[in-house]
Amino acid sequence: MALPHSLYNETSIMARDREQVRYPARIVAGVAAAVLFCLGGAFQSYGLESAYQHQSPDPYQISAQFVRFAPVLSAVPENAVLGYVTDAEPGSTVDSALLLSAEYVLAPRLVTRGTNHDWVLGNFTRPADFAAFGKSRGLRLQQDCGNGVVLYRKEPQT
Amino acid sequence: MTGLIWVLEAVLLGCLLVYRWTDLRTVQPAWAAWLLIFGAGAAGGIGVTSCLFFVCGVLLGSPLAALVLELAAMAWLGYECLRRRAPVAQTSAETRPVALPWIAGGLLLALGIATAAMAIAWDLNAQGNWDAWAIWNLRARFLASPAGLAERAWSPVLGSFTHAEYPLLISAFVGRAWAFSHSVSTAVPAATSYVFFLALIALAAGGVTVLRGPTLGLLAALSLASAPPLLREVPAQYADVPLAAYIAGAILFALLDRPILAGILAGFAAWTKDEGLLFLLLFLAATAIFRRRTALATCAGALPAAAFVAAFKLLLARGNGSLLSSSLPGASHRIFDVSRYGTALAAFGREFIGMASGWYHPILPLAILAVALRFERERRRDMAFSFAILAALLLGYFGIYILTANDIVWQLQTSLSRLLVQVWPALILAGFAGLHAPEAAAIVTRVAESRVRRKARA
Repeated sequence: MALPHSLYNETSIMARDREQVRYPARIVAGVAAAVLFCLGGAFQSYGLESAYQHQSPDPYQISAQFVRFAPVLSAVPENAVLGYVTDAEPGSTVDSALLLSAEYVLAPRLVTRGTNHDWVLGNFTRPADFAAFGKSRGLRLQQDCGNGVVLYRKEPQT
Repeated sequence: MTGLIWVLEAVLLGCLLVYRWTDLRTVQPAWAAWLLIFGAGAAGGIGVTSCLFFVCGVLLGSPLAALVLELAAMAWLGYECLRRRAPVAQTSAETRPVALPWIAGGLLLALGIATAAMAIAWDLNAQGNWDAWAIWNLRARFLASPAGLAERAWSPVLGSFTHAEYPLLISAFVGRAWAFSHSVSTAVPAATSYVFFLALIALAAGGVTVLRGPTLGLLAALSLASAPPLLREVPAQYADVPLAAYIAGAILFALLDRPILAGILAGFAAWTKDEGLLFLLLFLAATAIFRRRTALATCAGALPAAAFVAAFKLLLARGNGSLLSSSLPGASHRIFDVSRYGTALAAFGREFIGMASGWYHPILPLAILAVALRFERERRRDMAFSFAILAALLLGYFGIYILTANDIVWQLQTSLSRLLVQVWPALILAGFAGLHAPEAAAIVTRVAESRVRRKARA
């Protein structure tokens, strides 16, 4: 019976053995192929992901919304609930992206569709007569912040 | 950037908790023990601090109390860990891993490549993808806000797109770091997602090493670190990678016979996403069937987070309808619509194929190793346990698609790829856990050194 490995190797009076470990070729090939495939996949994934990110950086322009809504952030108190009007086609991706990005940037203010609030945010995709747009909905133009962002106040009811 | 300090503090607190309260430090080899402590500690620490902030900072209105409690706990745990010396590690059986330094080098290289790709996304798309700013980070901004505005995070006014009924682990954690640092830095949600990715890799490497040896442990981690769909989701800043980490972690710790830890991670899965709630129920059911001896301990581990979810859903967010509740009207009609099954099945097949990046599909490494190493009969029970949970989870997702009142094509297109990412790591780990360990096939010959020298001289 062989001595335990450590004792055998650490006893100077005995002849030292060197341990040679081999694996079946099937296992070596399998492990090597798995490693190489993974690394190939990592490089492949890097190339495609990097190209995609450079092609469509910030596709909904969320970072730019912080600049667009900066005047609203300073004009409207944090606890306010704002109404919301837009010229985007209802139900379209642009419509959803405009509303949700406004909610994100203006939080903790709440933004909700409609004009039933003291403050109403106008979020427009193209130039227009914003004062007339508001007036037709019972809103008074409070501040044209530029870049299609308009702040309205609800007209006092007569 | 000070927000990052609070991300790291949560990770450290979690690692101290795991080190102090579990016996993972005694696991062999030691590097696998440290990986498991990091993996469980990072995921658990984020979960614990998220819950603590939600109670103290949001419900009681005192973020300072949460901060003080965390720091006090960390100081005490640090002292405890230093005071109590780690038990002497047991001598492990001699293992002969196959080309371990090469695989470890490959893993580090893959992690470096993955991180470089993510860095491009962090730079060019700092706010993350749609759901990041429309759901998770939006709600984090509410939770971080002062003066009692935090309850807006689950206000029905937010609308159906924002899913105010979703659980709050990720949002509360990000909000916590923003509140503690008094700044809303995009680095916090990006780092949170990345920490979960690293935790997942660490859990895979450490867990499979303990189960099946270091060669398969590192290969499992490598196959996840190079999986394109997983890598794509990390910089998106969604809750799917955290959920994937909790699902994989819970199953791994169940296989490692650590039922309390498994239960805790399964509970946090439920506090992360609604799909995690389904996972928790299936996980507990599978534990009761396959691992009855550990069922009570698993339930005990899951109880605190499950209670959190129940309280949130039933008391706070009860005004918001869920995807399931909104799907119930007209469900009987949709169940019998055969075309929906065809649409969903085709989408599942398409998405599975679409997980590839160019020529590389992330199933390839496991497929190659399954051919080379073959599955081990003695691991059938473990594999049955893991695959039963994951198959039932996928079946549950399939059922939701059949039931949903939303346009099924839109629903599949916008969510299915992410649902597959949630279960993919656990599927891969379950597969690796069932393989023959290559170390067992080592052919060892002892040659007298003098003979070797003679041979070399000749």
